[in-house]
Parts: sequence; C-alpha cells; structure tokens
Amino acid sequence: MTSSQTPRHQTVQQVETELGKFPAPVVERFRRAHAQLEGRLAQETIVEWADEGLDIARKTVRSWEAAAEFFDASPSVQKQLPSGQFLRWARTGAALCADSPSLAVAYFKASPTAMVRLRPRYIDDWATVCRSLYRGTWKSSALACRVFESTPILLETVSFEEFCRFGAFLEALSRRSYDLAGECLTASLDLFKKVGSDVDAFVGLATAITEASWRDVKGLYEIGGPALADTAQPHRAALIALARRLVAAGQTEVAPVLKDGSMAVIRVPMDLRDHMMQMADALARLAPATASEFLKTAPSVLERVTFPQLREWHAAGAELARENSEAGISYFRLESARSGEVLDALSSSIELTRVKDILRMYCRALAGRDVEVQASQQLVDKNIGWVEGDTPTTEGTTIFLPGVVNKFTSKQENFGWFKVISTHQVGHIEFGSFDFDFDRPSTLFKDIRPKLPRGKSGASAGAVAEKQKGGEKNQENAGGVETAFLTDMSRFFDLFPEHKLALDIFTVLEDSRLDARIFHEYRGIAPVYASTQQRSLSERPRIEETPAREALLEFMVRISLGQKKDLIAPKDHVETARTLRRLMRRVAVPGSTVEDASEATIRAYALLSEVKNDELDEDEFESVDEGEQSEQPEDEGKEQFDEDQIVQQFMQGMQPGEQEEDKEGEQEEGEGEGYESPQEVDYRGEFKPELGQLLSQMQMGEGEGEGEGDGSQQITPEMLKEMMKNAAELDPKQSDQAKQQQMQEMLDNLMKELARREPHNQQFSQGPLVHVDEDGGPLDPTGPDTFVYDEWDFRANEYKPRWCLVHEKPMADGEVTFYRETLSNYSSLVRQIRKQFELVVPEQYRKVKRLEDGEEFDLDAAIEAMTDLRSGSTPSEKLFWRRNKTERSVAVAFLLDMSASTAEAIDDAKRGSDDWGAPDDPVEYMVWLRSRRAEGLRRAYKRIVDVEKEGIVLLVNALETLGDTYGIFGFSGYGRENVEFYVIKDMKEKFSQDIARRIDRIAPLHATRMGPAIRHAAAKLAETDTKAKFLFLISDGRPQDRGYSREGVEKEYAVHDTRMALVETKQQGITPFCLTVDKAGHDYLKTMMEDFSYEVLSDITLLPQRLPQLYKRLTMQR
Amino acid sequence: MPAETGFQEFRVEEYIVKKEPFYIPLTDEIDIFQASYRQKVPILLKGPTGTGKTRFVEYMAWRLGQPLTVIKSKSKSQQSDADGHVSGAIPLVTVACHEDMTASDLIGRYLLDINGTRWIDGPLTRAVKAGGICYLDEVVEARKDTTVIIHPLTDHRRILTVDKLGQVLEAAPGFLLVVSYNPGYQNALKDLKHSTRQRFVALEFDFPTGEREAKIIAHEAGVDAETATLLAKLGEKIRNLREHGLDEGASTRVLIYAGRLIKEGIPPRRACQVSVTWGITDDAHVQRSIDEVVSSIFP
Repeated sequence: MTSSQTPRHQTVQQVETELGKFPAPVVERFRRAHAQLEGRLAQETIVEWADEGLDIARKTVRSWEAAAEFFDASPSVQKQLPSGQFLRWARTGAALCADSPSLAVAYFKASPTAMVRLRPRYIDDWATVCRSLYRGTWKSSALACRVFESTPILLETVSFEEFCRFGAFLEALSRRSYDLAGECLTASLDLFKKVGSDVDAFVGLATAITEASWRDVKGLYEIGGPALADTAQPHRAALIALARRLVAAGQTEVAPVLKDGSMAVIRVPMDLRDHMMQMADALARLAPATASEFLKTAPSVLERVTFPQLREWHAAGAELARENSEAGISYFRLESARSGEVLDALSSSIELTRVKDILRMYCRALAGRDVEVQASQQLVDKNIGWVEGDTPTTEGTTIFLPGVVNKFTSKQENFGWFKVISTHQVGHIEFGSFDFDFDRPSTLFKDIRPKLPRGKSGASAGAVAEKQKGGEKNQENAGGVETAFLTDMSRFFDLFPEHKLALDIFTVLEDSRLDARIFHEYRGIAPVYASTQQRSLSERPRIEETPAREALLEFMVRISLGQKKDLIAPKDHVETARTLRRLMRRVAVPGSTVEDASEATIRAYALLSEVKNDELDEDEFESVDEGEQSEQPEDEGKEQFDEDQIVQQFMQGMQPGEQEEDKEGEQEEGEGEGYESPQEVDYRGEFKPELGQLLSQMQMGEGEGEGEGDGSQQITPEMLKEMMKNAAELDPKQSDQAKQQQMQEMLDNLMKELARREPHNQQFSQGPLVHVDEDGGPLDPTGPDTFVYDEWDFRANEYKPRWCLVHEKPMADGEVTFYRETLSNYSSLVRQIRKQFELVVPEQYRKVKRLEDGEEFDLDAAIEAMTDLRSGSTPSEKLFWRRNKTERSVAVAFLLDMSASTAEAIDDAKRGSDDWGAPDDPVEYMVWLRSRRAEGLRRAYKRIVDVEKEGIVLLVNALETLGDTYGIFGFSGYGRENVEFYVIKDMKEKFSQDIARRIDRIAPLHATRMGPAIRHAAAKLAETDTKAKFLFLISDGRPQDRGYSREGVEKEYAVHDTRMALVETKQQGITPFCLTVDKAGHDYLKTMMEDFSYEVLSDITLLPQRLPQLYKRLTMQR
Repeated sequence: MPAETGFQEFRVEEYIVKKEPFYIPLTDEIDIFQASYRQKVPILLKGPTGTGKTRFVEYMAWRLGQPLTVIKSKSKSQQSDADGHVSGAIPLVTVACHEDMTASDLIGRYLLDINGTRWIDGPLTRAVKAGGICYLDEVVEARKDTTVIIHPLTDHRRILTVDKLGQVLEAAPGFLLVVSYNPGYQNALKDLKHSTRQRFVALEFDFPTGEREAKIIAHEAGVDAETATLLAKLGEKIRNLREHGLDEGASTRVLIYAGRLIKEGIPPRRACQVSVTWGITDDAHVQRSIDEVVSSIFP
C-alpha cells in the first residue's frame, strides 16, 4: 500500500526537518496542520501522514506546492474520514502528484468540500475519473483540475454515479476539444442545479451526441440547456428522451427540438402536455425530423382546434410522414395544403380572413352603404382611440371584428357568432347611431335637450376632467366663446357633468334599442341572437356584489339582454329601478331613434346621478320582479318625467358656485372615483359614439355633412384635442404624463386618419391654404416626340391652353424572363382566360344572308326568288345564308399608372396615408420619391406595379387570340412640362419579344398627372380606324402631381381635369374604363368617373385575373 | 275556341288586356303616359329587369282602353260589339327584341303557300294598322339597322314604310310606340343610339321601395303581408349589393316567385335560395353572403 520508496521516518521532527528543505510555505503549513491534528490522531498515524506529505513534496520539482495544499487540506479532511481512509486519501493524492503536481493541488484543494458529499470509498474513483481527463498536456491538466474544483458543486446536485458518467462524457468530449469540454463543464455547474433529477438523462444525451457528432454538443448546452432548465419536471425527461431518440436516428442537432419542445410545453395547457410529448415521441419513431416541426406548430394549432382534433391532425400527418418524411415535415410546418385542409376540416374556429368577403357583403347588404370589414387589431394599430384588439366595434364606416372566433365547438356556431356581432355593429350604421342630430326631435319623448344648459365644456365638465387637466386651461375655455363641438354627439355628452356615467347609460340604452330593432327587423337571426344574449347574461357579474349605482347600471344591462325574472336592485332604489325599466322598454321599440335613446339617457342620468355609489350588503337588495298585479296597466307611454325638474337638476349640477360646492366636490370625487363602468357585453363590443360620429361624418363627405348646421367649418387640431379631452370614451387609465403623451399620439393619428378620410379639409394637410398657380404660360412642343395638351381648370371653368407637355418615349428593353415567368406562374389562369376568349370567337359568327352559297336557304330570299320567277323577272341567285365571321373591330389603349405609389408593397395594413407624407418642397419631394423608389427596387416582395404588370402580361397573351388592335402605355412624370408617356406597345405595333422585354421595365417613377396622359392616349386611339375604341386606365390612386394636386390645394383640381379628359375621350367616340386598386377610391371616383364605368378592386392580387374578365365584358357583346 | 284545353288564341292585333292588371304607380308615370298617348309621343321605359316595365305597359293599355266614365251595370253590353271585342279597347302588341331580329320580323314578309306567296304583316305593321300600342321590349337587343325603321313612326310623320309592298302606312290614331331598355352599365356596345333615344319620352323605372313592394308581392304571390314585408326587405338588402359583386339587384319578380313558392309550402329560406339567391348570381361567395342575409331575415 505504501507509495513511497524512501525509508520511513520515525518521528514527526525528522519529517519536519526534511520539509524544511522545501520552500517555506511547506513547513509552515505542515506545522499548522500538525498542531490541529495532534491529539486527533494517533502518533504513528501522524507520522505516517507527515511522511506522506514529505513523499508528495519530493515527487517532482514542483510537487512541494501539492504538499503545501495537502497539509492545508488535511485538518478538515481528517474530520470527515476515519484514519485509514484519511491516509488512503493522502496516498491517492500522492499518486496523482506523480502524474502531475497541478492535479494533486486541485485534488487537495477540492477535497475539504468534496468530502462533505463524497463517500470515502469513492475517493479513488473520484481521482480516477478526474485523472482520466489528464493526458499530459497543459490543456488536459487544466481541464482535469477544473473537474476537481467543480466536484463539490456538482456533487451538491448529482450523485457520484452520475458524476462518474459526466466525467466519462467530458473525457470523451475532451478527446475532441478541451475547450468545448471546459465550456460544457462551466455550463453544467449551473444547468445541473436546474435540471435536477434529469441530469443523468441529460448526460446520457450529451454522451450520445458526442459519439455521433460532437460539435452539436455546443448547441445542446447553449440552446437546449436553458430550454430544459425552463421546462418543468415530467416533460423535461420526456423531452430529453425524445432528443435521445432523434440522436439515435441520426439527427444530432437537437437544440432546436429542445427549445421548441420547451416552448410548446409552456404554451400548452398542463393536462395536455403529456399527450403532446407522446405524440412527438411517436413521430420521432416514424420520421425524426417531423417531431420538432410538430412541437413547433402544435401550440398554435391547439389554439384553433380541440385536443382530440389535434390528435386527428397529428394522426393524419403521421400517416403522411410514414410514407414520405419530407411531406411530413411540410405538413407539420403547416406549409402543405393537405395540412391546412385537415386542420380546417377539423377546426371549429373560424378566421376572419376566411369569411371576410361574405361578412362584408352581408354587412353591405344590411347597411346599404359601402361598409368595410376588418380585423379589430387594425383599428387598434391605428391608435386613434380604440384599444381592444379582439372586440367587435365600428367607427361608422368599417366593421371591426376579432381575427379568430373559437368560442364554440362547431364551425356553424362560431360563424353564428361572427354573424351576430356583425349584425349588431352594422346596426349602429343601419339604425343610425352615428347620425345623431342634437336638434332633431325624438319620437317618443318630450325633448329636454334644447332646454338644458350648455355645459361649458371644461369649466364644469366633470370632476374627472378637472382633476386631470388643472385649472388654468379650463378657465381659458370658460372665458372664451362658446366651444364649437365637432360632433353633435360631443355636444350632447357635454350636457352631463359626469361624462362617463352618461356614456355608460347611453351605451346601454342605445345597444338595447339596436337589439330591439334587430329582433324586429331580422327575425331569422333572432333565435341565435337571443341565445347569444342569454349566454352574455350568464357571464354578467352578480348584482349583489356591486355598489348601488353600478348595481342599477348592471340592472339596466341585464334588462337590455332580455332578463325578465329574478332581477334585483338595491332596496333603497327599487322605485328608481322600476322607472329605469319602464324607460328602457319605452326605448326598445321598433322605430325608435338614436334621439330617443339620448332623451332616455337624460332621464336615466337624472335618476342615477342621485344615487350614491355605496357598497351594499347582499341583504340590501330586493327583487324588482313584476308581481301578479304587474306594472302593465301603467302603460309605458304614461310614464311621466317632470321635465322642468330635470332641467332644474341639470342647472344645479352645472353650477360650480353653489353653496354645496365643497360637499359636492368631495362627493363627486368619491363617487367619480368609485364608479366603474359596467362590464362590457361581449357581443356588443366597444361603442365610441363621439369618435364614430366624427369619423363617419368625415367619410360620408359633404353630402351628409351639410345637414349638420354649420357643417362647413373645418376641424382644427385644437378642436379635436378639446373633444378628446372631454370624451369619456377615451379614458386611458394612466398617469397624467403618460396620458398626455398618449393623447398627443392619438391626436396625431386621428388627424392623419381624418385627413385620409376627408381630403377636402385642408386643415389636415400641411400644405399652404391658398391655391398657387403654376408659373408660366402656354408651352410649345420642344421636339418631335413631344405634344402639348390643354388642361381643364374647374374653378375658372375653362381650359388652360397648351398647358401640359407630354414627352413620348419608347420604353427601354428589359428581360424577357418576367413575361415568361408570369405566364408559367399563372399557367392555369392563362389557359382559362384563353379558353374564355376563344369562346368569344364563335359568338361573333353572325348570320349573313343573301349569299350564293351557304348552309341553308334564306326563306325571305327564296320567296322573293319565287315571286320574281312567277312574275317573270330574273330571280336573284343569292338564296343562301351562312354564319360568317364578322370582323371584330376593336382598338384599346391600356394606360398604366407608373407613379411612385405603385411601389408600395401589397400589404393591407401598410396601405393608406403614406401618400400624404410627401414633402412640399420640390427638391425634397424628388428625394422622397427617389427613396421610395429605391425602397421598391430593393424589396423582394410584390408591389402594386408588379401586379399591374402581371395583369398586362396575361391580357396581352389573351389579346393575341382575339386579334384586337391594342396599345400599352405607361405614364408618370413630374410637373406639367414633364409628363412622361412611355410606349410599351404602340397601337400598330405587332407583338414581339421586344414588347415582352419592355413590359419588364415598367416600374414606379414619379407623380400621376392623369389628364394629359389620357388625352395623349386618346389621340393615339383616334388615329386607329376601328369601330369601337376603348381606353383602359389602370391606376392605384387619385391623380397627383406638383401643381396638379398638392400645391394646387384642391385635390379636386386633378380630379376634375381627369374627368374632363375622360369626357373628351367619350366625345371622340372612345369608351373609357377605369380600374383602380385604391380602396379609398370610391369617394373621388364617384366624382371623377360619374357616368363612366369603373371598378375598384377590393383585393389587388385579383388584378391579373380580373383584368381579362373586365376586358371581355367591356368589349364583347354577350 | 277550344276553351276546354285552357288556352286562348288571339290575332296579334286583337290581343287586348281585358282585366285590370295590378299596378301601383311609382310616381306620376300614369299621367305622363296618358299625356304622351294623347299627344302621340312615343315612350321609352328605362330600368333594370323586373321593375314592372312590362306590367306598366299592360296596365296602361288596359287603362287607356277604359271609357272615361264607367257606367257599371251597362258596361259590358255597351262596350262589346258582335265579335266580343271591347270597343275603345287598345290592342297591345308586344315584341321581344333579339339580336337576330330583322326589319322583316317587325314589318312583315311573304309566306309561301299552295298558291304561291302570301304577304303577312309583321307585328309592328299590325299595330300600326290596328291603332294599338306596340311595345318593343329590350329594344337595345335588336340590331341597329332594325331600330332605324321605327324612326319615321316616332316623329310627326307617324308612317311606316313597307318597302316590299311599296307601301307607306300612316299609323291609325290609337297607335303608340313604346320601347323598353335596360341600361346595362359597362357594356358600351349595347347602348341606344342618340338618334334613336331622343325620339322618346323617357320614364325611369326602379325597384319599388319597402311598403309598396311588399304590397305588390302580397298581391302577386298571394302571401300574407308579413311574408311580403320580409321579402321586400330582402329585396332592398340585396339591392344594396348592386355594384359590389352583383350586376343587378333582386328584381321584384324573383321576390314574387319566392313568395309563390312560400305560399306553396316551401320553407322560406329554401324558397329564397332557389328563386332569389341562385337566380341572381353564380358567384359562390356572393351566394353565401345573400344566403346569410336571407337567414337573418327569415326565421
């Protein structure tokens, strides 16, 4: 057992002397240790111990350091080991020292703490494990030392067996890379603590990976480790097992799997996690690669389907993966069509995108207006006052609906929900929530509105506003002239000291009015609607738990949802409750108007503002059910409110200088603070009357606006701000400062939105207010390919002579690939269009009579011949008729908008107000345009212009079948003296590859001066001698150019000139047609294209498909 | 007359509307028609299909044929002559125009028979001779050269040249030309020439609204007022979709058909589907949308 060859020393002193030959620390430490061990150990053991130390010190040149460490560690190690083991420990160290003193140093250093967790019998094994890492190099020694050092920490969480296996793993890995092994060691220290009982499995995985592809161990630690650490117990093991299986199957890059798996586990509900892991495991057996894809998508799939459905989806995918793992991968990535189909068939959820078209038409049918349907999130993104991304709402022109509905287990029910919520939102439009007119009399009430004092907005506009805004501003307003209200709705709400309460009351009453109307008008939907109400009712908070005033509001909400029985109200306010109920019934009749709801609001407010919002006990509530005697005899119409009294009440409420001031202030504060709006009714969503009215008035334009009294006034940011300040519906619950900032943002966005909707209101655009005429006079052609045209000035009602200079340029050649690719991408559509066009050809066969030869006798001719014969004259020989191809004589000029805005990506959300950000300064404007263009070129995604081009390619292809004369032209330019007119194919040119090349070069350029381009194209058409002539204009928005729209303030100028140009074409016998992709186009198109045909494409991607259809329809007799 | 088999046969120019057709005026079109008739100004009826143009003409033919004062009890014996014709009644000659219609189809042609040829008057000629109302339905469908022959009939001359016979016919006093036309937007090739259209007084027809349409449906289909109201509402809602996927809204006619099916016991939703939804469009998306409207309105 003795590891030393030197003779044994008999006494400690001898040893000490010997040690004295080594550097001083050795003997110093020996003495210190000796002092401590003395008495704890037998003398001979001590001698043996000292001797071992000396032995260590003597091993090599540097081993004295190890000896010093040995002595240092001895006292505390000794405490934990029996003397036999103690010496054995020493000898093990000595043996290590023989290999490498550094190892020994590390060994001794780590020993005191390691011994706490290490059984004595494992000491040797421990040393062996660490020793195995040492291969005589510096790196290996460093690693081995670190393992020694780390042992105490490792052993805190892992068993010794596990430690050994870990050591083996490190050893295996260190053969490849010491650095990586070191990194793993470091990471393990932390990781093992978190992974706990799964260390062994993890090490097993790591070892397996090391064997197969050691480099992947890095990923395992860097990505997989943290992922595992985040995963909770049973599933961590499952994940590791899964990874193990993948490794076994040869897929060693398991880090992503672990990560996705861990994410999946977190996202999936507790009870389903096991099953999900089992499914992944099953997949791993079939086709390893699919498992990770499955884990990646499963959680999101689970949001759409129930778990059993997920199982089915999984099973179908597994089947696929069994046969073809590539197919399996794309299936589980949700990239394959089959996957979508299976999911769709299984899923009961409905995505808005799928039913949007149907709902849009449905809403349009009901509303009788150009209603749009969009996801609520889009409205929230605009940040103009709406905050809920998944509640239905409307701003008067667009119905906003949640992106997905997954409330029920069947598709039918989910669609029913979509239908109910759209019907309610459309109700706001159809039944005129936003058409509220302050001065229009109600139909059911004696009007109080005009009698009420005008709440000088601000001065006493309610405690809430006052508190948040501070005093000065209010005084300003109070002192100033009467505030002009942006909407009648604002004017109405301004009557109330407490806007929030008034808004809540109005919301309930108005919603209940709408529901009543819907029940009456749409009996078909009534059953679904009623069950929706029933469900909403079951989700209402208990009245008993709400304070008095809120209880009464909740009471109203419940009535509005159709609850008839078991209604309760605070004892002290039972009469109020009854009155409220009668009031609600009065409004909820067919034919009632928004003004009725407003009058009812005033009455209900008068009642409710008297009710303090006190907390009540359950026993302070009482049933308000109608007994046998019921309130029926008291006919609804007879309910009388004392109008004067209400007016009086409002008068008082509005006067801040009353003797009650102090008390009232306090009270209001108390109440205002404590009062919470009733919980939203899910299917009714958000209702913002003021904003809605503002925005819808804008959209409807002048036509409706004029009815609103002084509707011609323009909206200023200040006015908006005022409105927003007072509107209860905009109530971000935030600190003053944050609120201020948010308000400002919202204000800016709202101004932009308004500008978009109402381009005539110049307040919004930053441009100057006065019309700036373009300088200079008539122009002259500057070269052979330039042409001058007049321009129509609608204000002067006359032409500006020779105002625009058109430069006709041939389009440069590009690559022919675009043409070919488009044809091959749309090959099925190409076939379809061709077929359609070919079908037209026989349609053109007409019966030609009086021929010498033909299909059949022409009866008329035959009879004539007979008559002639009998009368003795020579009959005509032309007795036959035949179907002959009549010559199709059609010429068409396609005029493509090549303005900068066509560079925009086809992306719903992004479209919109961008155009208005154009700077005024010509130089900046050019820079702006250029940057936009550059952007366009760099982008890989499809732009509007690309779709235009595709449409043209398909059409050209089809036109060749027909043999019509056609030309393709693009236009753009900047300023009146520089209208660029690009010839892609001239009217008389034959189609060739060159044309295909030129199409490729169609790209967004500058502005859109439509008038001269139309005139020039018309001139080209006029030169052809066909019978029918068409001008087909394809554009993406309104006409725009310097001096044409922007500086020339009235955007109408451009619209009118364009219109005049179209009128001119018509006069020349040309039929114009305009196809636009500008969704907001309806407003100006109505003016511009009045009497002309046009179409607005709702979805630009339909353009390639739609263009040939339209062409066919336009130019061919059906 | 083989009355047992249930049909009645008339010579073109002898067909008169005997029973008062059901007609609810939109505005003052009756007065205008009457005035035009007296002044012999031809009339152009514009409007989408199924808005009651034809019914209006029938109604006017009947109405103008009525004596100004009706003596109730004696009316029958006084007005009918020996042949059973109602004296003063105005014949109504209706011609549905089509693409291949020639001038001969209107004016007349020779027919062959055993003895050789025999001239037969076309419907227009008959109307001119009989002094009836000649109604050219969907006149744009006719070829342009055909429409030109009506020109001399529509101005002060009121003559019809029958070139094959070498005759010129002066119209009988009661003759009036009425044409109808559906300004189908977007088809430029099917527009009426100005030289033609400016020879007429134009009356615009559109779908009747709400109550009026309900009344018509109730009468024509024999359904109760409630169903009729719902059908009228459906019509109104669908018409909101014109130019948003539908070329033409639901005509009153299809609504009446739906009403008739409902009366026969077909469930309302289904009745609307087959007579309205599927009738007006082939686009599956639009059909679905309309079905949703139907199911919202009909229980």
